[in-house]
Amino acid sequence: MPDLRHERFAQVLVDYSTSVGEGDLVLIESTPLARPLVTALYRRVVQAGGHPEVRIGVDGAVEALLAGGNDEQLGWISPRLRGDAKEANVRIAIEADSNTRGLTGIDPGRQAVFARSRAHLRDMTMERAAAGELRRVVTAFPTNASAQDAEMSLADYEDFVYRAGFLDEDDPVASWQALGQELARLAEWLGTKKELRVVTEGTDLTVGVDGRTWVPCDGKENFPDGEVFTGPVETSVEGHVRFSFPAPHGGRLVRDIELRFEGGEVVEAHASEGEDFLREMLAMDEGARRLGEFAFGMNDSVQEFTGHTLFDEKLGGTVHMALGKAYPESGGKNESALHWDLVCDLRGESEVHADGELVYRNGEFLPDLF
Amino acid sequence: MTDARISRLADLIVDYSLELQPGQVFRIDALDAASPLTLAFYHSAIRAGAFPFFSVGLEGTLEMLLEHGTNEQIEYIAPQQWEEIEEIDAIATIWSEANTRALSRVDPAHHANYLAAQRRLHNRRWERIAAGEMRWCGTLFPTNAHAQDAAMSLSSYEDFVYSACHVDTGEAAEHWRLVAASLRARAESLGSVKELSIVGPDTDLRVGVEGRTWIAADGRYNMPDGEVFTSPIENATEGEIRYTFPAIYHGREVEDIRLRFEGGRVVHAEAARGDDYLNILLAMDDGARILGEVAFGLNYEIDRFTRNILFDEKIGGTMHLALGSAFSQAGGSNISGLHWDMICDLREDGEVYADGELIWQAGRFLHEPVPAPAAVEAAELA
Repeated sequence: MPDLRHERFAQVLVDYSTSVGEGDLVLIESTPLARPLVTALYRRVVQAGGHPEVRIGVDGAVEALLAGGNDEQLGWISPRLRGDAKEANVRIAIEADSNTRGLTGIDPGRQAVFARSRAHLRDMTMERAAAGELRRVVTAFPTNASAQDAEMSLADYEDFVYRAGFLDEDDPVASWQALGQELARLAEWLGTKKELRVVTEGTDLTVGVDGRTWVPCDGKENFPDGEVFTGPVETSVEGHVRFSFPAPHGGRLVRDIELRFEGGEVVEAHASEGEDFLREMLAMDEGARRLGEFAFGMNDSVQEFTGHTLFDEKLGGTVHMALGKAYPESGGKNESALHWDLVCDLRGESEVHADGELVYRNGEFLPDLF
Repeated sequence: MTDARISRLADLIVDYSLELQPGQVFRIDALDAASPLTLAFYHSAIRAGAFPFFSVGLEGTLEMLLEHGTNEQIEYIAPQQWEEIEEIDAIATIWSEANTRALSRVDPAHHANYLAAQRRLHNRRWERIAAGEMRWCGTLFPTNAHAQDAAMSLSSYEDFVYSACHVDTGEAAEHWRLVAASLRARAESLGSVKELSIVGPDTDLRVGVEGRTWIAADGRYNMPDGEVFTSPIENATEGEIRYTFPAIYHGREVEDIRLRFEGGRVVHAEAARGDDYLNILLAMDDGARILGEVAFGLNYEIDRFTRNILFDEKIGGTMHLALGSAFSQAGGSNISGLHWDMICDLREDGEVYADGELIWQAGRFLHEPVPAPAAVEAAELA
């Protein structure tokens, strides 16, 4: 008897998020830990007439490469990675780590080499997605490692994950569509604004968004979802920001990141833990010091910080901004091998002003704006 | 605590079997149950300066495809697989199942369609191997499923597997170099034979091998290894054979197979159990009724039947004759989606004649082959 939650999860991802149809080449990418979901997805894709291909990662391999590989090995792209980037119509990526800190001991400079060598594949994926040749969704399967980061039991964390995706509701798709409509109205309204200013403890940051497109996210590219994002004007960001949530990236964690921007560029960066890694990431390439994304988290079913970006950035009452690569569909032009989402909690004493007008206070947009 | 034998097995295959060179593209094919060996291969390949990547599947998906898929889905091959096969310098395949009978209830016709479609890719792989453009080696990672088939505990089965591969100690590569020299001498001496005659209980079979090349299976393509084989002349097999061990194909067991050959083709086939499956596989394509391989099993440390062809075909004192695709490097030309090794135990009553002369009795060759120069060299080095 298949587990009904996995069946429902698979159904939403295949039917709603990626609309798998006849003849689609569908990659299901994960680790052995996500077996129940991968299995349910595989069956659902076959039933939808698609061609499922499973890509299972091997625990410890990235560490082995980063720790023991020479520069040429580090930068090498396998024919599998290249072929998949070129040929797949649908990609369903399921994060399912056995250890979210497994790369803490790795030289960050080598991680930067690794990321740079793969950036063109990510860019190709983004371009194919923007051109409508590829539908891709990133999701997460609850594991003990993620539960541990969230300081929860696995059972509680599973409930959290399924609730965040509205999978505990009778008709999850209807809820996603309803949220999608609300976010579309918000995106349209934000599209009329030229400049946003975020003010909270340790933060006073202005971000230019004139002429950029705000994109509502309703469970089709991330699952769970619930945000609106854009790509800020590259030279416009001014001021300072403190990211209250710890920022996981590349198999490690950086805490209490503080950045100061001038003319769109990071000119000062501090962290209470992982500052070396932060500096290495900022030095990855020219675009790594600029924002590629600015977004509002709007999913009210995510109410607690869990140390997993996919969820934290959706948390209702937060904003997040990403250093590095911009999404082409937002009008953002920043290029980088980096895309690192950093989340700032606004549920405490905080304000957002749009073109000088107060529009958001203590984690919520003021009523009747859009 | 990591089992040191796992990394020794990976090192043996990377260094000895595949002779992986810096800069070579190396694919590791496995199922998720083989993770410790899969990772050990990755480490070995990185150390060797190669470019490793994975093709790891999840146990349980193939049966879903065969159960729920249309023919179009079952026969589908992703386009990037064709590009990939041209770029690879070496592949290691790790067999490692969590349930060796997972396909038992799948419609055999669906399975045959799947295999026939995969054959095109498979053929291209073997073309490149035969042309010396690519290396391949298959091995096994012990799981409870394989141990259960062998009627052993997992830890006894691990001992069986690793000792058959000689990775109990750090001297594995030296051991296989000596085995290789002795097998090559045997292959060379069989090269002058025109016809083999195999005689045993309910068995009297003549197999033409004139002009074919005997190949020493010395651990380059399989680990463990230990056989000499060739591909018989396609239209020359005559007579009858009874296979004493059950023959297993993709998880299904067929017991007590009897075949009658005329002009190289199976003209009658029956089995005490699994008769339907046997006949469906024989009907897969034209080449499925023709022998693609004849071989002597010569690894005397594999002394028992464990329901796994990787080991069973090498049991010292047995012969196996495979229906289906032949080895072009042996001079064979039979093409088929099938390659089904069936094993005949000759350890008690069997006799083999080469052009009328008795050369094998009760599971042993009667005479040592004249050692080839390479064998002398290796023995002296040791």
